[in-house]
Amino acid sequence: MTTEELEQLLAQQPIALLHRLARGRVQRHFRAGKRRLIEVLLRHSAENRAGFESDLMTLIGEKPVQPAPAPPHATTVRKSKLSAPPYRLGKRPAGPESQEPGITLATWLEGLGVPSSLQPFIPDAWQENAIAKLRESDVVVSVPTGSGKTYVAVEAARRAIAENRTVIYTSPLKALSNTKYTEFSKIFGADQVGILTGDRRENRQAPLLIMTTEILRNLLYDAGGGEIDVRLDTLGLVILDESQYIADPERGVVWEETIIFCPSQAKLLLLSASIGNPHDIADWLTSIRQMPCHLIKHSTRTVPLRAGYLHPNGKLSPLFRTVGIPHGHQGHLHPEAKRLFAQYEDETQPSGRRR
Amino acid sequence: MPPSIHPVDLIVALRAKHLTPAIVFLTSRRACDEAMQAFDHSHIVLPPVRQEAIAAVLDKVIAQYPSIAEHPLIPIVQRIGVAAHHAGHLPSWKIAVEELMRHGCLDAVFATTTLAAGVDFPARTVIITQSSIRKSRDFMDLTIGEVQQIAGRAGRRGKDLVGFAIVTPSPYIDLTVLTKGFTGHPEAINSQFVISYPMVLNLLKAHPLDQIQPILAKSFAQFQLNQRAEVLERKLDDLRVQMDPFGPRVCTDWIAEWQTFDQVRRQKTHRAPIRKFESPEIAARFHFLTPGRVVGFGRSRGVVLRQYRSKGQKSPMITALRQGGGITESPASTVTEISDRILDCVDAPVYPWCTPGTVEELLQSLDELPTKLPELPILIPKSNEPIPDAIVQILGDFACPTCPSRAACQNDYPLASKLRQEQQRHIKSIQALRTSLWHRFQEKIDVLQQFGYLTPMARLTDDGEWARLIRIDHSLLITELLRANAFNGADPAMLAAVMSSISNDDDRPGSFPRVSSGLASLLGQVRKLAASLSPHEEPPLLRADIAAVTERWIGDPTLTWIGLCKSTSMAEGDIYRLLARTLEFLSQLHTLKATHPGLADTASRAIAALRRGVLEELP
Ligand SMILES: Nc1ncnc2c1ncn2[C@@H]1O[C@H](COP(=O)(O)OP(=O)(O)O)[C@@H](O)[C@H]1O
Repeated sequence: MTTEELEQLLAQQPIALLHRLARGRVQRHFRAGKRRLIEVLLRHSAENRAGFESDLMTLIGEKPVQPAPAPPHATTVRKSKLSAPPYRLGKRPAGPESQEPGITLATWLEGLGVPSSLQPFIPDAWQENAIAKLRESDVVVSVPTGSGKTYVAVEAARRAIAENRTVIYTSPLKALSNTKYTEFSKIFGADQVGILTGDRRENRQAPLLIMTTEILRNLLYDAGGGEIDVRLDTLGLVILDESQYIADPERGVVWEETIIFCPSQAKLLLLSASIGNPHDIADWLTSIRQMPCHLIKHSTRTVPLRAGYLHPNGKLSPLFRTVGIPHGHQGHLHPEAKRLFAQYEDETQPSGRRR
Repeated sequence: MPPSIHPVDLIVALRAKHLTPAIVFLTSRRACDEAMQAFDHSHIVLPPVRQEAIAAVLDKVIAQYPSIAEHPLIPIVQRIGVAAHHAGHLPSWKIAVEELMRHGCLDAVFATTTLAAGVDFPARTVIITQSSIRKSRDFMDLTIGEVQQIAGRAGRRGKDLVGFAIVTPSPYIDLTVLTKGFTGHPEAINSQFVISYPMVLNLLKAHPLDQIQPILAKSFAQFQLNQRAEVLERKLDDLRVQMDPFGPRVCTDWIAEWQTFDQVRRQKTHRAPIRKFESPEIAARFHFLTPGRVVGFGRSRGVVLRQYRSKGQKSPMITALRQGGGITESPASTVTEISDRILDCVDAPVYPWCTPGTVEELLQSLDELPTKLPELPILIPKSNEPIPDAIVQILGDFACPTCPSRAACQNDYPLASKLRQEQQRHIKSIQALRTSLWHRFQEKIDVLQQFGYLTPMARLTDDGEWARLIRIDHSLLITELLRANAFNGADPAMLAAVMSSISNDDDRPGSFPRVSSGLASLLGQVRKLAASLSPHEEPPLLRADIAAVTERWIGDPTLTWIGLCKSTSMAEGDIYRLLARTLEFLSQLHTLKATHPGLADTASRAIAALRRGVLEELP
């Protein structure tokens, strides 16, 4: 491999791979950006080129298999600029359609604006469904951020309170607990809502209690040890917000403990951002709880999302060829965005040619 | 060309296209602060109406949190309608920015990605300038879930018809990571179940030992381990079918019979004088260097991917995946430690000898293993002599040479033995998957028994009864400190300072106030104890300089918040977080009032002294 080829190959790798390659080779590599990292790696590779290359190939080999490379005619077009196609798998759009023109910026920006404020609030079908299902089963909700999970929590809590049951709502962060405390106090009235965090305890006899998940876990442990702190016998509903935190390396275990020890007479409502395997969570709940768990999930955003590319010189372009996000087709880049980004990469190459 | 767009140009461009309000995610707090400074000499000035609107919202927040009245960012935020929001700021300032955003007073906020996970904070547009984030010590590519979480902040329901997520390049960007993030399906999430000392104590407080396994079996961790075990069980079923033609023949276990016969035969004819120069240790241990085995090489650790014999010398060799990701070929003699752990490893016939997906999993499992692993007991034959003579005589006892099935056995042996090995490996892995949680729990029980928190029957001792109330990180260190009476005579400032240094896990350097000699010597003691506990619990950083910040705050009640901030290079937000965490640790000590009244009293005095100024005003 020539140094140029090596450099190009490095440039095509994700930055995480470069950091792994730099481990033990370059000090304080985690402070470096991609360009800088490639520069120091190249300098270092002179010491033991063969070892360096073999480590690099090992790391590349470990990467999950990427989609097949584009047919030859698509690659020749840009070969002069972005050569070394064998390693550029997946980065290149697949298929002949890659020559398709993209939408115009004006089309992309269309629809921007504020909805007319006269729209009445009509709950979405999934929201109604979640609240209804919660009557007879636990519910796991996994929907995109901003869909309206809070509405489900509020309505479920309202019903449980009306039935004289205690409701516990947990969030992963103290700041979020405080925000919800304010928000729920406005909805339900200050006397109906209490809060327990590491160092704040207010209105702990209220029917709706807000706390961090750690506090609830501790309560459940103390109840298990025979010391009752809060009245768990009337507990009717436990809402765990942001429950994708179960995958947090440090704190995830707290969500598991909370769910395992949640009293069986209380319903569980898990609210989560979109995750890849919500059915696993639901199946798990079904396997350990008295009743089957119902999964509510969807991946369509209520407010559609569009992706763009903004060049350092201020030029804006759609990122993809389509107006919306082309799910499952990461290669459908807009030609303009592709051209601008290639230009950016060329001009910020580590080995000079900086204009 | 500049490596990234100038913040002022960015805001101007967004305004021109009506893409405000926007959240601009930057890589570091520093980048956020520098972006704000870039506006110092800009000509952007908001019309008076908007400035007044900002002032009105700020006035309301200041009424609740007077500490931000003098905040240095207020004038510029008011002038340009742009703010910064990151972990270096006080929570009250962050609340102010969130409030301004909620009222639609700002055009943009420069923020770090922690915001994406932290607060409810949507906007019309999200600007993404990076494709990786720093996690513990390394930069990691954003996952699909993370990209979607960040992009998901764009588009407020009820306020926007569409949301925009705009990528702008910087030297930190890898566009593929982001396009994959936008278009991909979020990753599956995995259990991160860790068994901690407080968990063991609290479970054993409420349940007898024989009920623990069923409780652990209810974890999501076990649910996912079972899923993996089921995959292997299906493979086992397949293997069983493949093994069908290789059932009992003239002898019931012909595979084993043929194997011994074949070995003896080879030894006799000296066709492969392989084991001649091998020490019996190496020969005995080589059997256990099978794929998946966790082994030690001096100070580092690795997992065996395959074993083989070198071409020339026929010396025993292994291919191992080392911690950090290297794949090495080494003589079996370089292995210094064979642990009793086998990781689940799907092997492949070619380099890297396992499926690509496995490498990642193996590396992760390696990193997650405890620092100390039990060694595998291996019986080593005494004599250095090869065994041929004795065995050669036995050769006469084998029925194989004249057996009618000989040809079939000889022919089928390679495949049959390979399938059987595979079968045995799967059976072992399945067993490991089904029992690993319970084993981890038992390891913790052992330690707690050794230290006297649990009786030999795994009931809580008197010490165990109070120790279970300490449910924070480094619980073993804290409870051992209490048992060693380390805080006898310590004043509130010293107690709080030590708790700070235990709770802090930030290793960034900086300048700090001086630590008192009393605290320095107490910390020396704590460090010694922490080091002695290190086989059982990762020691905290125990920085004296960090402890000194807390010591000053509590030791000098006249010290103002500004004064404290001036005494160190730590960011305001970090100081706040340090003290808030210290409060949490202290309140755990306070729960021990029944058994440790003196300590609980010192803790509550420390809490009272700590909670003043900013720490009192915040929720
Ligand atoms: N059915 C609905 N119709 C209109 N607006 C809704 C509906 N449900 C929720 N919203 C609004 O959507 C916004 C986002 O909701 P929120 O519950 O914060 O989302 P998330 O799912 O991220 O928790 C809120 O302003 C909320 O009032």
